[in-house]
Parts: sequence; C-alpha cells; structure tokens
Amino acid sequence: MNELLLQGLVNGIVVGLIYALIGVSLNVIFGVLRVVNFAHGEFIVLGAYGAYFAQAWLGLSPLLAMPLIFIVFGMMGYGLYFVLVKRLARSNDPEHASLLVMFGLSLVLGALMLLAFEADARSLNFTLDPPFLMFGNIILPTTKLLGLAVAVVVTGALAFFLYRTLPGKALRAIIMNRDAIQIVGVDLNHLSALTFGLGLGLAGITGILVSMIFPSFSPFIGQDYTLIGFIVIVLGGLGHPIGAVAGGILFGLAEQTAMVFFSGTVAMLLGFVLLIAVILIRPAGLFGVQNSR
Amino acid sequence: MHGVELSMENISVAYNGDITVLKEVALRAKPGEVTGIIGPNGAGKSTVLKTIFGLLSTKTGTITMGGRDITNLKAFQRALEGVSFVPQNRSAFAGLSVYDNLLLGCWPFRKDKARIERAIDGIFERFPILKEKRSTLAGSMSGGQQRFLEIARALVTEPKVILLDEPTAMIAPKISKDIYALTRDLADQGATIILVDQNVRQCATISDRLYILELGRNKAEGTREDFATDGQLKEMVAEWMNYKIDV
Repeated sequence: MNELLLQGLVNGIVVGLIYALIGVSLNVIFGVLRVVNFAHGEFIVLGAYGAYFAQAWLGLSPLLAMPLIFIVFGMMGYGLYFVLVKRLARSNDPEHASLLVMFGLSLVLGALMLLAFEADARSLNFTLDPPFLMFGNIILPTTKLLGLAVAVVVTGALAFFLYRTLPGKALRAIIMNRDAIQIVGVDLNHLSALTFGLGLGLAGITGILVSMIFPSFSPFIGQDYTLIGFIVIVLGGLGHPIGAVAGGILFGLAEQTAMVFFSGTVAMLLGFVLLIAVILIRPAGLFGVQNSR
Repeated sequence: MHGVELSMENISVAYNGDITVLKEVALRAKPGEVTGIIGPNGAGKSTVLKTIFGLLSTKTGTITMGGRDITNLKAFQRALEGVSFVPQNRSAFAGLSVYDNLLLGCWPFRKDKARIERAIDGIFERFPILKEKRSTLAGSMSGGQQRFLEIARALVTEPKVILLDEPTAMIAPKISKDIYALTRDLADQGATIILVDQNVRQCATISDRLYILELGRNKAEGTREDFATDGQLKEMVAEWMNYKIDV
C-alpha cells in the first residue's frame, strides 16, 4: 500500500511538472495579454508533430528538436500576435473575444492537423537505455525522468527570465499594471508579441515532452491539454506565471495517486473535484490575488 | 536637467472617432518653467497630457518638442525622445521592488549598465527614502512614498519634458508640499514641466504660465502675473475656481 502510494506520488511529481509547463505558458499569455488561449493544446500537439517530422525528415532526436521547435513556434507566435491577437484589443470585451477567437483557432488547427496528418495516433521513436530505473520497489521510466529534468530546466530558465532579467520584469510589470508599462518607454506591441511567441515556443517544447512521456498523440488530444492547462492555472492562480507550477504539481499528484488506486476516469474526476474545491475555498487560486485587477 | 520647448497647435482629439474631447487646443511650455493647466472637471486637462505623451492620437494639429514634430510618434517613442509622464492613477508596479521599478524606468537606455547605475544612484541621492526602501515591494509602501517612486522613476531618464497629472491627488498635505517643492525645484534646474492640478491655489503658486481649459477648449492663458494683475482673468479664475491669484 505505501509503495503504491509512493509510486503514485513520484509519478504525480513527474507528470505534474509537465502539466505545470502547460499551465505556465498558458498563464504567461493570459497574464500579459489577457488572451484566453483555447488553442494552446493544439499548439502543444503541433509541437509533438514537429518533433515527429524533425525526427523522420532530419533525423533529429526529440531533445535536439526542442531548440528548433522553440524558435519556429516563437516566430510563429510573434507573427500571429500581429495577425490575430492585436486586433482583439479593438473589441469592447477583449477577454471574451479572445476566448471565442482562440476556440475557433483551436477547431481550425485541429481540422488542419486531421487533414495534414490523418487521424492515426503516432508516437515518437524515442527510447533510453535502460528503459527503467528501480529505486527500491519504485519503478521509474527513464524517459519520464528525462522529461522531468527537461521540465525543471525549462521552468527554471523561465523563472530566471521572469524574475532576474529586465525584459522578464517588464513582462511581469505588464501583468501588474498594463496601462503603466508604456510610461517607462516599453513598446507594448513588441513585448506583447514576444510574449505570445514565448508562450507558443513553450507550448512547442511541451508538445515534445508529452510525446516523449505519453504513449501517443493525435490531432484529437489538443483540447485535453488545453483543459489540463486551464485546470492548472485556475488552481495556481490565473495570470500568476509561477503559480502554475504549484497548480501543475498539485493536479499531477492528485491525478496520479488516484490512478494508482482507482481507474483513469476516477483520477480525472478527482482533478475536477480538486478544481471545484479550490474555486470554492480560494477563488483566486493558490497564488492569485483577489481583485488584483 | 535640460528642458526643451514643447508646443501644441490646433490639437483636436476624439474618443471612438466621434466623441470630441479636445477642440483646437494650443499650448506652449518653456524650459525652466512650470506650465500649469487648470479648469473644471471634464475640461480635458488630463487628456492634454495623455495626448502629449502619445497615449491618445490626434485628429488635427501638431505637437513639437524642441522644434521637432512628434505628433505621429507612439508613446514609447516619445519616452525615448525624453518625455516623462506621471499619470494620476497609480503607476508604480506593486509587485516589483523600488529598485526594480527604477530599473524599469531605465528601459530607454537598458543596454548601458554604467548609465543605469549612475541614474539610479542619482535618484537615491535625491530621494534617500527610496534608497532606504530599495528592496521593498512598491505595493507595500504608503501612497505618498509610491507617488515619490513614480516621480523618481519619471526622472531617472533625465527627461526634457515632465508631465505631471494631479501629482498630489489623495496624498497627505505634508507630502503634497514636498511634491510641489520638488516640482518647482526641477523647473528651476531647467526642466520643462506641465502640471495638471485640481488644487488651483498650489498650481497657480508654483506655475510660471497658466492655461485654463473649458469643455476641451482653451479658455484663457497667461503668465501668473497676468492672472494676478489682469482684472478680467483674475475675475474669471475667482468665479470659476473660487480663488484669486496673487503675484
């Protein structure tokens, strides 16, 4: 019983950090741009396909594909900001408008992926030797451990960027007071576009990680990741970049420990119960500040 | 401080394209002077400052700074040109430390580390309280201290033109006095200052030149002496603002 619980906790931390990465990128975009990116999961799946084709066509391992995917998705996000997101500011209610536009984009991307890649589930050809490590009676797949390490490095790099560099502080300053940022001479559009690029770049990397850890991916799973992302950021605090890490780990722990004892469906259900409980007890999330805006 | 002349000619501004809030407004602010803008609520005083800073776009007219046309520059470009703005609403970044707020103020020359260090040291010399609280989160300071931080952040770039919108609104009287003294001091050092203030008495006391706006239009203008000696101007201010300007 204790070993099973321990196994669930370890899995929860590993999967939770991946979930955290989904939430962090979603939260950066929401915090800075007030854009409810309902297409985030589709960008994650696109990242997985990116790694798949980088491996098939260029012979790149998923790890080596990460910087490439980050740059390509970052540029795509930068451009997409000017094509799509910037125009939302003209709406009377940009947040709701963004929700609808991004939901539409999610459907479009899902349909395009279905057309381009077909409905078959695919998986990356990526294994490590040895495939498992044993810590006592705890079994840990080495790909999961690698995924954990990458998630820690990426989250750490993002935290360093946000809390230790001037552009990162400017980005957090937008979250705190969007109206005031122009006063200090920041080009709001440029920084907003960079933020959207950063969010999509991180989504691309996350896509590679989930395709390394989970057995397969297909055009249909994007909305599952979006849903997980929103659960995570509501748990951690909407708009709080690092709150998503706590939210992700909490959700991962709840889901994976429940999966040890019950079925996958119950585990997912428990995640939602946790979400409802947090909303009832602390509506702003674990790290959120009530009525901060 | 090396101020430059800033002038607005024939400026009209409209919200949503058709709600005109400024109509052919003209204004001239000179280096070494405080130019005060007074007028009743809804006169468009804050709108003038937002327009000068580029937060609102103009329908007609030109804005020049040191003879250079800046009408089509965006807000961040005007900041790079040396315009600083302290808005009426809270603009300190509450979740950042005092030091980080000042650091963000250095954004226009963010790649010049030596200049950043010099600029922040200069600010700490002028505002010892900020040096003392350099690691404190801005949001945990008093309203007066936050206002000083906002003004200090506006000064960190050694701006040519400083726009102050109701700098003493909701601030304790003692701190307000210090803010007015600082404003006068900055002008005496050569800065070009445009001050919008509901406190007509204080605004008239420290301003060298005054503009009165009414319903988005210029109503009257003149030096402080003009307002104190010209019977018609004096009467107008007395009637509108319940205050008589003296030399």
